[in-house]
Amino acid sequence: MVLEVRDLVTTFDTDAGTLTAVDGVSFPVRRGRTLGIVGESGCGKSVTALSIMRLLPQPMGKIRSGSILFDGKDLATLPTEEMRKIRGGRIGMIFQEPMTALNPVHSIGRQLSEVFLLHRTRNEREALQMSVEMLRKVGIPSPEIRIGEYPHQLSGGMRQRVVIAMALACKPDVVIADEPTTALDVTIQAQILELMQSLQDEMGMGIMLITHDLGVIADMCDDVVVMYAGRIAESGPVQTLFSTPSHPYTRGLLNSIPRLTTPRKSRLPIIEGMVPSLAELPAGCRFQNRCPYRIDACSVQPALEEVGPGHRSACHRWRELPSLPVSP
Amino acid sequence: MEFRLPRFQLNPITRKKLRRFRQIRRGYIAFLILSGLIFLSLIAELLVNNRALIVRYEGAWYFPTYGAIHTGRDFGLPYDYEVNYKDLPAAFAQTKNWVLMPPVPYGALENCYPGQTFKPRPPDAGKRHFLGTDQINRDILARLLYGFRNALIFSACFIALTYLIGITLGCLMGYFGSWFDLLVQRVIEIWSNIPFLFVVIIVASVVPPSIGMSLWILLLIVVAFSWTGMTYYMRSATYREKARDYVHAAQVLGASTPRIIFSHILPNTLSTIVTFIPFTVAGAINSLTALDFLGFGLPPPTPSWGELLRQGTSNLNSPWIVASAFTAIVVVLILVTFIGEAVREAFDPKKFTTYQ
Amino acid sequence: MSAALLEVQDLKMHFPVKEGVFQRARKVCRAVDGVTLSLPAGSTIGLVGESGCGKSTLGKCIVRLHQPTSGSIRFMDTELAGLSTSSLKPHRRQLQMIFQDPVESLNSRHMVGEILAEPFLIHAMGDAGWRRRKVLDLLDRVGLPANAAERYPFEFSGGQRQRIGIARAIALEPKLIVCDEPVSALDVSIQSQVLNLMLDLQRDMGLSYLFIAHNLAVVKHVSDQVAIMYLGRIVELADADEIYRNARHPYTRALISAIPQPDPRHRQNRIVLSGDVPSPINPPSGCPFHPRCPHATDRCRAEVPALRPAPGASGHTVSCHYDL
Repeated sequence: MVLEVRDLVTTFDTDAGTLTAVDGVSFPVRRGRTLGIVGESGCGKSVTALSIMRLLPQPMGKIRSGSILFDGKDLATLPTEEMRKIRGGRIGMIFQEPMTALNPVHSIGRQLSEVFLLHRTRNEREALQMSVEMLRKVGIPSPEIRIGEYPHQLSGGMRQRVVIAMALACKPDVVIADEPTTALDVTIQAQILELMQSLQDEMGMGIMLITHDLGVIADMCDDVVVMYAGRIAESGPVQTLFSTPSHPYTRGLLNSIPRLTTPRKSRLPIIEGMVPSLAELPAGCRFQNRCPYRIDACSVQPALEEVGPGHRSACHRWRELPSLPVSP
Repeated sequence: MEFRLPRFQLNPITRKKLRRFRQIRRGYIAFLILSGLIFLSLIAELLVNNRALIVRYEGAWYFPTYGAIHTGRDFGLPYDYEVNYKDLPAAFAQTKNWVLMPPVPYGALENCYPGQTFKPRPPDAGKRHFLGTDQINRDILARLLYGFRNALIFSACFIALTYLIGITLGCLMGYFGSWFDLLVQRVIEIWSNIPFLFVVIIVASVVPPSIGMSLWILLLIVVAFSWTGMTYYMRSATYREKARDYVHAAQVLGASTPRIIFSHILPNTLSTIVTFIPFTVAGAINSLTALDFLGFGLPPPTPSWGELLRQGTSNLNSPWIVASAFTAIVVVLILVTFIGEAVREAFDPKKFTTYQ
Repeated sequence: MSAALLEVQDLKMHFPVKEGVFQRARKVCRAVDGVTLSLPAGSTIGLVGESGCGKSTLGKCIVRLHQPTSGSIRFMDTELAGLSTSSLKPHRRQLQMIFQDPVESLNSRHMVGEILAEPFLIHAMGDAGWRRRKVLDLLDRVGLPANAAERYPFEFSGGQRQRIGIARAIALEPKLIVCDEPVSALDVSIQSQVLNLMLDLQRDMGLSYLFIAHNLAVVKHVSDQVAIMYLGRIVELADADEIYRNARHPYTRALISAIPQPDPRHRQNRIVLSGDVPSPINPPSGCPFHPRCPHATDRCRAEVPALRPAPGASGHTVSCHYDL
């Protein structure tokens, strides 16, 4: 285990009062494995990543409680100076929009060698040499020429490769990828996912992959955490979670997405309603107002219970769930 | 029902912006103070005037402030030109008649020491010259207040005209684009290279004395050289809005060009223009003062701040003149700037964030 | 197959690329470069491709937000391609559009009631009371409460806003709706709600859809026919089930294999295409797909393949020199 998040609570101060964006989330990221965090907008998956990186928007965002254990240190309380060394050095980050993650006025080579100069070497020529190597590793053709180019001269896929190169430059123990392929086309997404997998096989880092796309999760991950309205709804190994979803939300999501195999123009089973806003969350289970299986007990927050080996669900009715009809 | 907003009801976004504006204390207080000053300048005749507020004469009531001109004979004085109300208390001394003068009983054009030498006199609360008099014996407070009103009228007309021209042309350039846009852009580029000050000097010397350099001529000249800035903003804003999907949706529905411009594009571009207004006001007051200072502005004896400032700098041994004019300009411009900053902050809610 | 509602013939949309001091057009962006397709009444044709393939431009040409460079658009026996804005207006009632971004496509300064009444105002239909009833009826049809009429778009979630956009599109009871990525900006659990709504409306109102999306699974779910576009051209067109089971074009195959399936038991072998989509400003010679195609030959580099019927399958056309 390289990174462990325990009972993380992150809040935001807004005009509407203090909102709890992440509420008691725990999960481990293991070496050489990929943990997927999946959920819809507003579920707290990106805030979790920003909390780990300590990149919450200031002064509104705060880690209220919980710990983020990494290499015997608690990142939640680490001084800013030390955090800076870990960020970009031992924990890398890949962002959704490669154009905003790169500085448009600096050349690729300069941005990449800056990472090496910060964490690995003091010699500029050496740093540039390392940059060329790194670009070659992420599959950028003729990297000696590319280092002189600027972000706008590259295509979206190439830019994301550069961002990956920057994230992996210092051989980090963990890489946090926040929707790394959402802005890319399907065939380019396939290239990037393939690249991330092969780099993981080679370098052995743990990946925390944040996405809303269950397809990407199924393709890439070993373990999955499903988040809903700031809490974990269900977590477990990817095979188990997809074959026997034990939370009505997970099951509803899996049923509602059209697949190449669903009968054409059939009605898709849906999850009624919409995600509640963080300002008006229901007491108890946060999914209750959309849940077709709601009972009185749901007004009490269900605990994240062990439902199988490594498989947990926060539902009072997980035992009966397989026997309940899909669309009541 | 037609889903039209009743007049008193504002769009909730606008209401939220106004609420946010009120929360920015510095700007809101500045706004209240400036509103107060504007109100005072609008009722200036009641506060600073050489006409009486009320005259009680032989059982009849007179309110000369806004009424017709009364001659001396009307109140039993032996002359046929307008009565000097300051003479009345002495004339009414033994009678039941009385007169109520404004707090500062001097007009902006009045020579307060008729028959005496022209020289600046320092502030004298007893004579109610709270800020003293200028070099031709006129009350400075009166000149400041009426000058402020002239500056306000000038700014209001300036904004109305520059925005009208700038918004119309800019919006048309952005909406129609192509050759029309190119043509107007080139015209604007040439136009804005004409040196403004020279034109003012030339016009000032050419205007026949029978018409005179009035507030309106000055306004037209300044507007003629100031509308171009707004076209740039409106042009790009319209280009941006035109490419958005809600405009496409209206086009697909078959909406006419006027409908798209007036119902869709203008309401969305104009909302940001509000944030420019305070800065335009500051600019207008500034240019009027500067022109007056240089002597190319309003014709004498119109009360104006620039003219007072010029007097002050040439009479530095009478520091009350320059001090009054300078303080008035600085205070008003600071108030306007505070309001402008607050409006911008309230209407452009980019919450400030920093990263560790 | 019933008579075609929409018939597009060799449609081209070339944009001049302006350069230099004098803004002279030196290059041409071939966004849509010779598209032919036909859509029977009451059915859906799905248009799939990656960004820059021209699928959105094609949609915008059909609703005449763009004036196409050449080619013909026959809609209900009228040629739309050359019509002026004023003569287009009566046809617009039959031809509507749903946009991708429900935030961008609604005017934030208008109340929902005003947005939905606008189609009737533009076409001078009914009096105020009639329009009011129609607006309430529209809200009900798309599953929104009646009080939505007095609220502003920003008070709604993305899914609800897309419902408002759909209500506006069906207001004039059109025959054809061009849907430009209608669900791709929505959350997963909301996408299926909106797709169901669109399928219900199609059944109830006899609508035809031109459904533009990059997600092949979504397109396949709602479409009768699917057209795959690459660099401004259709490279394959077939029945929706057929194209998935029996893809003939190497690009279609790669595209299908690249979609991550939400099923970890089927981690299929992705066909990973090398390189990026070329720019439509300088499209490659010959077959536009040849630089990325694993099967490319000299013939592909020199000769543009025509769209031809795929052997052994009816209604399946493909633009590839070879039978793979």
